[in-house]
Amino acid sequence: MAVKDKLKTDLFPTIWCPGCGIGLIMQQLASVMDGLGLDKNNTVLVTGIGCTGRMGAYMNFESVYTLHGRTLPVAEAIKTVRPELNVIVVSGDGDMSSIGGNHLLHSIRRNPNITVLCNNNEIYGLTGGQTGPTTPQGIATISSPAGSAFAPINLQGVVNTSPNSYYAKTTVYHQGPMRKAIKEAIEWPGFAFVDIASQCIENNGRRIGFSSANDMLQNYRTQYKAAPAGSTQLESHQLGIIKGEPATVAGKSTAGSDE
Amino acid sequence: MTKRLVQGNEAVLLGAVKAGANYFAGYPISPSSEILAQASVHASKHPEFRFLQAEDEIASVNAILGGSLAGAKSFTATSGPGFSLMQEAIGYGHKVGIPCVIVNVMRVGPGTGMPTMPGQGDLNQTRYGSSGDYTSIVFYPSTVAECYEYAIQAFNAAEESRSPVILLSDAFLGHLNEVVDLDAIEIPVVPRTLEPLASGSTRLFSGVATYADGEPATADSDEYIRQYEESRLARLEVAGRYNCFEYGWNKESDTLVIAFGITRRIAQPLAPHFALFRPIRIWPTLDKELIEVAERYKKIVVIEGSDGQYANVVERMLFRRVERVPLLGGRMSLEAIREGLDRIGLLPIEPLESGAESPARVG
Repeated sequence: MAVKDKLKTDLFPTIWCPGCGIGLIMQQLASVMDGLGLDKNNTVLVTGIGCTGRMGAYMNFESVYTLHGRTLPVAEAIKTVRPELNVIVVSGDGDMSSIGGNHLLHSIRRNPNITVLCNNNEIYGLTGGQTGPTTPQGIATISSPAGSAFAPINLQGVVNTSPNSYYAKTTVYHQGPMRKAIKEAIEWPGFAFVDIASQCIENNGRRIGFSSANDMLQNYRTQYKAAPAGSTQLESHQLGIIKGEPATVAGKSTAGSDE
Repeated sequence: MTKRLVQGNEAVLLGAVKAGANYFAGYPISPSSEILAQASVHASKHPEFRFLQAEDEIASVNAILGGSLAGAKSFTATSGPGFSLMQEAIGYGHKVGIPCVIVNVMRVGPGTGMPTMPGQGDLNQTRYGSSGDYTSIVFYPSTVAECYEYAIQAFNAAEESRSPVILLSDAFLGHLNEVVDLDAIEIPVVPRTLEPLASGSTRLFSGVATYADGEPATADSDEYIRQYEESRLARLEVAGRYNCFEYGWNKESDTLVIAFGITRRIAQPLAPHFALFRPIRIWPTLDKELIEVAERYKKIVVIEGSDGQYANVVERMLFRRVERVPLLGGRMSLEAIREGLDRIGLLPIEPLESGAESPARVG
């Protein structure tokens, strides 16, 4: 098998804007899946609404393109009914932590053995560039012309409300760390969340002063630094992984197990 | 044969299990909560039956959609406010074509309303609650035995139509206890119809309008109309296998009473004076059957626990005026029916015996 076999290349070019970061996530996910032996017989994708949600249509897997914000209850139920399947959620930051925020809190609490890849572009891109829950304070958007008034949601803190969960922060520029995080998250025996900073040049980047997608990627390169070894909490613009303790069997009874 | 006392809500759960249900997700809300509680008890004894008490009704309904796609016969139970929260996902289930059952044990709305006085005000919600056009199949039983029977039929119709089917009940019926022999009710169970996820194919289950290959069809009106007509006709065809209604009482009367669910039971003392038409399949409406029956009567009166939701439907269907007896604010009693009939000059001259076959008023 090859990475290309994971993708419906006959549907390319994708619907995503030139310079979008989502394709970088899809390509790395396909590569990791290939390495781990994940295929359409043992793996299901669940995607949310937003640009990221289209990913399910471009991959050679069965895929559920859910309502806005509802990936997690759908994914959790699939895992419950079919514990032998790998269930991978791919969703944007708005879908996951704003409209789907309540499900995020409670899925983390129940610790189902599912993997979440969150394409975090700090904006509502598909709808044209409105403030999202992850938009940094002070950033101007089409719905916050004077700058976003509020501090962004602390995704790391939310995910780590469970002692059993896996949280990784990476960017699409840092392909090595992103690959490692996606692989570990799929293998993690419980709820795993990969928070991937990803550029939206068309509906965010240009407005806030970037000239190109490459400009945004270079910004990731210079701004993000690996967290010191042994960190138990990531600071802003740190790349790293915070792991809890894998849950006991009893704690995972509602989520099902791998076998 | 095991005759025993069974509650309406319990009969729904037992019917679901009989139909092969093996996934339940729900959120507590009176007067449906017994279904949630008994599903949890059933799950604790039968590990193949999976149970989730979700964080809210939105999670519940999306979980049963996911559970169904994964291969389970799935269901949830709620009441008016929770049913309102489920509407977006019900439309999604219709669009994608996902079999599942949603039980709505009605109380008085809108808003939090009157927890938990009985009502019948969610009829329009079961038909028009989600955005866009879709074809709902909805059943509303009248007895505890029928709660069991139509729970099974709801699962059967859901499988056949590949859509979310609604089973209506109400606070009165859900909490009604009757001596029944459920084992004596034999209904064939329709097996699973939708190929479960990870079938080896690469299907995309999408709430967005798409072509067969998964590409967006969001600007193609012809494709939309083609898919819409296909699903509409398929669901009407399935509904046509469930033309369930009751026609009886005094058929020689010149007045036809239309009542359904618990209201038909409360109205039982009217039997000597009026003919009765009771739709059990609420949606799609039983046009052929009701038009044929209605032609024989000078007057038609709809007695219902809402301000004319079904009466409006009947008027539109028959193109003639119908009289209305709305039972509002949870006042679902023979007295309220008498007052309503009196207001429109239809109270029978002979006084109605109160209470004989009518369940006591609740609240």
